[in-house]
Amino acid sequence: MKTVSKHALLRGTGLVILATAVLYGCKDFLSNAAEPQGTLNQQTLANRAGVEGSLIATYRDLDCTNSLNRPGGWGCAASNWVFGDVAGDDTYKGSDHLDQSPINDIEGYHWGASGAGLYLEDKWGQVYEGVVRANSTLRLLKEVVTTSPGEFSAADKNGIEGEAIFLRAHYLFEGWRMWGNIPYYREDETDFRKPNEDSSAVAADLLKDLDSAIKLLPSTPRNGQVGRATQWTAKAYKGRVQLYDHQYANAAATFKDVVASGTYALETSYEQVWTAFFAKENGKETIFAYQASANDGEPNAANANEGERLNFPYSPSHFACCGFNDPTQNLVNYYQVDANGLPLSMSTPSSVWNASDADFNAGNLTPVDPRLDWTVGRDGVPFKDWELYSVTWARDRTNAGPYGPKKNIYEKASGAQTTVGWQPQQQSSMNIHLFRYADLLLMLAEAEVETGDLNGAMGLVNQIRTRAAQSAQGCAASADNNVAARYPQCTGDSRMAVPINDPSITWAKYDVRPYGAFPDVAYARAAVRTERRLELAIEGQRFFDLRRYGMLVAEQAINNDYLPNEKLRRTYLAGAEPIAERHRFFAIPPIEIDLSKSGSTTNLKQNPGW
Amino acid sequence: MYTYGRSVMENVQPGKYSFLNRSLRRFSAVWLSVLFVLGFGGTALGQQVAVSGTVTSTGGSPIPGVNVRVDGTEVRAVTDAAGRYRLSAPADALLTFAHVGQRPVQTTVAGRTTVDVTMANISYLEEVVVTAYTEQRRGDITGAVASVDVAAAKNQTSASIIKALDATVPGVTSQTSGSPGSRTTIRVRGISSFQNNDPLYIVDGTPVQDSYVNFLNPEDIASIQVLKDASAASIYGSRASNGVIVIETLKGSNTGSPKATLRARTGVATPVKGYNDILLTNSLDYFAVQKARYLNAGQPVPASLIGIYGDPNNPSVPAYTFVTPGAVLTRDAFGRPLTVDASKYSYPNSLIEPGSAGTDWWSQVFGSAPVQDYNLDVRGGGDANAYAVSFNYFDQKGTSKYTDFKRGNVRVNTSFNRSKLNFGENIALSLDRHYGGIPDDPSTQAENGILGKDILQQPVVSVYDIAGNFAGAKGVPADNSSNPLKNAFDRKDNISKDNQVFGNVFAGLKMTPQFSLLSSLGFDVRQNSFAGYSAPTPQNNEASFANGISEYNYQSLDWTWSNTARYLKTISRSSFDFLVGQEANAGNNRFLSGSISNLLNSGIDSRYIQDALADPNTKNVGSSGGRNALLSVFGKAGYNFADKYVASFTLRRDGSSNLAPGHQWGTFPAFGLGWRITNEPFLANNRIFSDVMLRYGWGVTGNQQIPSGRIVSTFGGNRGDTFYDITGSNTSIVPGFRQQALGNPDLKWEENRSSNIGTDIALFEGALNVVLDVYKRTTDNLLFDPRTPGTAGIAAPPIVNIGKMRNTGFDFSLGHTGSWWNATFNGSHYKNTVLSIDGVQTFFFGPGATRIATDGSQTINMVGQPIGAFYGYIADGYFQSAADIAAHATQDGAALGRIKFRDVNGDGVINSEDRTIIGSPHPKFTAGLDLGAHRGNWDASATIFGTYGNKIFENQMDFYVFQDFSSNVRKDLLANSWTPQNPNAKYPILDINDIYSGKPSSYYVKDGSYTRLRSLQVGYTLPGQARYLPGARVYVQGENLFTKTSYDGLDPALPPVNASGAAGDIRDQFMGVDQGAYPTSRIFSIGIVTSF
Repeated sequence: MKTVSKHALLRGTGLVILATAVLYGCKDFLSNAAEPQGTLNQQTLANRAGVEGSLIATYRDLDCTNSLNRPGGWGCAASNWVFGDVAGDDTYKGSDHLDQSPINDIEGYHWGASGAGLYLEDKWGQVYEGVVRANSTLRLLKEVVTTSPGEFSAADKNGIEGEAIFLRAHYLFEGWRMWGNIPYYREDETDFRKPNEDSSAVAADLLKDLDSAIKLLPSTPRNGQVGRATQWTAKAYKGRVQLYDHQYANAAATFKDVVASGTYALETSYEQVWTAFFAKENGKETIFAYQASANDGEPNAANANEGERLNFPYSPSHFACCGFNDPTQNLVNYYQVDANGLPLSMSTPSSVWNASDADFNAGNLTPVDPRLDWTVGRDGVPFKDWELYSVTWARDRTNAGPYGPKKNIYEKASGAQTTVGWQPQQQSSMNIHLFRYADLLLMLAEAEVETGDLNGAMGLVNQIRTRAAQSAQGCAASADNNVAARYPQCTGDSRMAVPINDPSITWAKYDVRPYGAFPDVAYARAAVRTERRLELAIEGQRFFDLRRYGMLVAEQAINNDYLPNEKLRRTYLAGAEPIAERHRFFAIPPIEIDLSKSGSTTNLKQNPGW
Repeated sequence: MYTYGRSVMENVQPGKYSFLNRSLRRFSAVWLSVLFVLGFGGTALGQQVAVSGTVTSTGGSPIPGVNVRVDGTEVRAVTDAAGRYRLSAPADALLTFAHVGQRPVQTTVAGRTTVDVTMANISYLEEVVVTAYTEQRRGDITGAVASVDVAAAKNQTSASIIKALDATVPGVTSQTSGSPGSRTTIRVRGISSFQNNDPLYIVDGTPVQDSYVNFLNPEDIASIQVLKDASAASIYGSRASNGVIVIETLKGSNTGSPKATLRARTGVATPVKGYNDILLTNSLDYFAVQKARYLNAGQPVPASLIGIYGDPNNPSVPAYTFVTPGAVLTRDAFGRPLTVDASKYSYPNSLIEPGSAGTDWWSQVFGSAPVQDYNLDVRGGGDANAYAVSFNYFDQKGTSKYTDFKRGNVRVNTSFNRSKLNFGENIALSLDRHYGGIPDDPSTQAENGILGKDILQQPVVSVYDIAGNFAGAKGVPADNSSNPLKNAFDRKDNISKDNQVFGNVFAGLKMTPQFSLLSSLGFDVRQNSFAGYSAPTPQNNEASFANGISEYNYQSLDWTWSNTARYLKTISRSSFDFLVGQEANAGNNRFLSGSISNLLNSGIDSRYIQDALADPNTKNVGSSGGRNALLSVFGKAGYNFADKYVASFTLRRDGSSNLAPGHQWGTFPAFGLGWRITNEPFLANNRIFSDVMLRYGWGVTGNQQIPSGRIVSTFGGNRGDTFYDITGSNTSIVPGFRQQALGNPDLKWEENRSSNIGTDIALFEGALNVVLDVYKRTTDNLLFDPRTPGTAGIAAPPIVNIGKMRNTGFDFSLGHTGSWWNATFNGSHYKNTVLSIDGVQTFFFGPGATRIATDGSQTINMVGQPIGAFYGYIADGYFQSAADIAAHATQDGAALGRIKFRDVNGDGVINSEDRTIIGSPHPKFTAGLDLGAHRGNWDASATIFGTYGNKIFENQMDFYVFQDFSSNVRKDLLANSWTPQNPNAKYPILDINDIYSGKPSSYYVKDGSYTRLRSLQVGYTLPGQARYLPGARVYVQGENLFTKTSYDGLDPALPPVNASGAAGDIRDQFMGVDQGAYPTSRIFSIGIVTSF
């Protein structure tokens, strides 16, 4: 019995050892299963395709992507509509009270209080994801150039490096004009809990990067691909940074260089700027734009201006949703002109030009700048080539006012609408201008005013005004829209753009004329600033412009001209606080300050006052 | 040692036997003779008599399924449902009666023809249970191992038995929705980790991680043990951190001839409560609320509302809520369409929607639903084999329209004995089908599900439009809900299919009586597919005109090969039990998905992803997959001295492919000590304490449940994220790549150390059994992906071993078995505390993504607080006067009747710094009470469950109180909202401009305690002489008949919503948030159990 037991024990132990040995002998049992599935690794990408792909991904971050962490929702929009338009006096948040309520905090200037942090985090995340992608490109480029020197021609190597550095500067410029004091990351840095730099140091870093990019970049887009930055893009940006940094003489010189190169020009008429017609996109006026694409194989239309999708009229319009970013009464009033065809705001105080609380609807023949009807959807006015804009398109008129944004609306005939996605009618391939030539010219005018060249400034402003006088919204009547039903003269008239005094126009009276003289600096300054608002309304620039003009100017515009009247028009604005010195910069998202802690040190410092 | 049951003598009354019995008697005799001649010739052959009798419990109720065996022969019988048996035996034969859970009884026939026996329950410590790799006597177990009262658990209608575990075993919580076949979130002794806290299930020795366990037919389950502490569970090492639930299925029995049992149950379910109990169902009542919201704000009723309800002072139900422009023939004085040209109607572009005097949306969608459950099992076998075959068909329709869960299940368990070798298999084939689009596992953004926001659609919206198509809120201001009935209807053909083969094959070799080997190959082969349809919604305000389909296919294979050797040795009063083993486990899965939109034909036969059938530009396909492997060795040593001192030691080493080379292997030790005090002389034969065992256990378990492949950084991209139209073509994009996830080359095990002190006490000869355990569990090196700063980009943060969490608590059960009734009370308490996050951060937010969670989340994980604590402002009543507002800290939107938030940090300003912990979703105490009674042929049982001290964050108030998106509102909102005359109202002032009061605050936090009669069953066993179905048991059952709660939302029994992060399932960070959960069902059913 005992021997049997021993034998059994031995045999059994043998069996167990054998079975164990079989598995352990196959020593790859664990490591084979450890390989990640369905992804690429660093080695796969260390070549031309990897570097170019990494650069492409850097461009793509210009607008919201479907992977950006978006705690707020739409703060990543290429157009900056939340921070540039809603935060300023151009637009209301829109929709109804509670929809995207974090924007209420942006709009009410409660930037440290609550929901604002979410939208600010959208923007912060997008800015630094862009920086991360740019820096990855630069690192990978360096690696490939080192390991396989033949992979790129010198031109390509420089071009890629220049584009990546330019894009990094673009993203950090965005961060800088939002927050001022931000951390600046280059490709060799690994500590992502760095302290922020002082605003002026950031400006110096931006200029340094832009200078590098100008040296590296070709004068025309690499590979002839219009989406790419050139040395002129970088140079235009350089002037922009200089102007934001109040280096007026430098800015003027830089801008004049760009102008003199003849690279850019104004489109002949205003409606050709914000357009979805393929032939007119990427025209001479485009300095840099987010290249939207629709029906490009992406099944949810993620590339078709995801960041703008809320900013369409609500049901029952064709677009069905969501009624955000609606022009303010203040903005609409601003388009009134005086007897000389000059802005009424130039010759009257706000108690006059901003007196009207009434809906500015079709048939109100107060003379206005024709750009009004390329910028704002108004009740009874043809809406590009769709149909008559209707006040019923506002989701909640009490909250959002009667108007709708218009520049971002693609033309029906452009065929730019996607066929895919949740609400295809809200997304299109219309590009979003990040920097256009009119913007540059007005910046140059601004620099000239500050450097004393008033005539130069007036010439530039008049150039803009002359172009504005080239066209007005026409009938654009078609068989299936209801324009001709209300305006019999429109029957058969399918012209979307017509001369501003075209007899078919019965919904408005347009007038816009050049200035005859800039008598003094103050007048010139006001004229340039006024022109900027009229020309660039709802393009995400306004609030940044106001802050650049100085907090006194911003406080005058917001606290005196805007809020007191607008609080009566939109009762929810009663909760808005007046802006003050601390609104010079947005609050850094509180979560990022928390995340920047290493040990007991908080590396990111909050901006003053928040 | 055994107490023999009393046997009642009855005289034989020869005349009473029928012809059949005489025949049987003759037949049996012949059969026995043959057998004896063949195999048992040496046995002394006495005179054969027919013996019959009844086996009853000490309480007097019949015990079915008892094995009655003539000692030394192969003659056996099994008692029927009335406890009756009949066999032939020599007049001097010894009969052995055996049944699981009962002490075996032996008695001699002694010439009797009627032998009745009474069987006593085996005392708790004598019970033999299957725990880790082996069977163990309770008295040898030193860890916290709880047995589930399977019979009580089966009294609840469900596709899965795990739903009922919380009431029947202490220390376990289960959270589930009323949706048939939905998942159940089981947690053992609190929550171990920030993510992936599902326990490990061991089914017939095969490990499986599953949150549904729908593949197991509840009727197939013989026993369930929950290994709650590390000293019991650490033999499962790397996967035991969240507790281990060991399930054994019913095996064959050596009863000889096949014995079949048929169980059939059918019933009808209704929701325990509906939103129509809570919300308005009258359009004009709804208007009155809206009017008050404007008037209180000093604003006139807006034109948009007048366009629906007409004169604000004399509102009326509109004839139409929306009429396509051009179809209006006449309008009333308020511009409302009065008559229309119906010929202008065309779907989907030109709609005409009538107004409704009040649509009860809840009743449109929810109602009664049938459930049926049929089981047939056949069991039998002999010395050389045993088999059990079972069939199940289960069909439970959802109480929500167009939903249905069906399951078919076949199980085959067989085993063969051949000399020292035994081998066999346990295999279940399970197919389930889940119809309809009601998500049973809704995500944190569940508002567009039928139970989220859509069920809150305004009463003025009609169900159907003038042409009989579904109507919607088009034209009703700001209402962006969808027609919930349409929502359900559109998804009626959505189908999720699960096909699964689960089981194992095994072989054992008993080399000597002491030494045995066992090898088992377990497998789990799954295929899960889904096909869904999304319909256009032209009748909505946010109209959509596109339709689309999506489908996916998931396949996985997991196998586990385990080999163990066991050696038992007794030397004098010491006995030893050694087990060594080795295990390999590997799994792989692949997921394939696709979608396409704009179908040319939306019929169900055209719902395939093919270019010609839809818009090929919308086609999207993708695949993903994962692999993982585990390799383990383990050993266990048990020592028992004189049944007085018990000790056990286990050690396991696991290697996981999910972890980094160099850190792949983890060691998991544990030990347990037991002292059976009653076997000491000083307590021997104590009249009170019949049996007392004290236990202490300590051990380490691990967790490696993270996605595979996270050791290295990975790159990738997709068309909507990294591809770009660099050429400005408008319609084409160029590929791009980015870093997608940061790897961590140092990933190692998460460790859970737990200690447990427990006692098992039998009082008064087992009349009262007490089990009490107190524990502490600390998880360290928590695997978790703390957020990286935004400056690092959006690549998924690395998973790191950071964080620490502690659970302390106790659980107990008190059981009494009386002569005609029995009761078991289970109670448990745990306290979860986050001890550390990453050493730097002191908190991070939960995954909340509802509309009000604009500033983080309603839930937070904060050091010193339990996981997923509620976070927000403290609501301090309402602003009652201008002076009150002036005296209060500066608060945005402060106005009369609005909610006043507390200035927690005392800085004079109400801002996000004033948010604080406002409640915990964790119960302070949960309890279950199982009751049973029997009298004669009648029996009854009931299960009551209660949870106390947990809070619910009633997120639905965002809609039905604060009216986000103009949704429907609570019935009492108008009467019970703040006015100067009603300063202490339930709700704040109705004020259209009040966007402030609805911030996450303690106002949303409600007591979630409830007590619920989970099941009540009354059965009647038909007498053996009944004409039809003799011995069958019939019963009626009611479930969830009664609930006591103060929660005024829909149902306090809330499932946690589905939330996941890069490191896995993080739903424990978002418990107790009511976003509209599918309510529990009240079910009445009748059933029958019969054997033949």
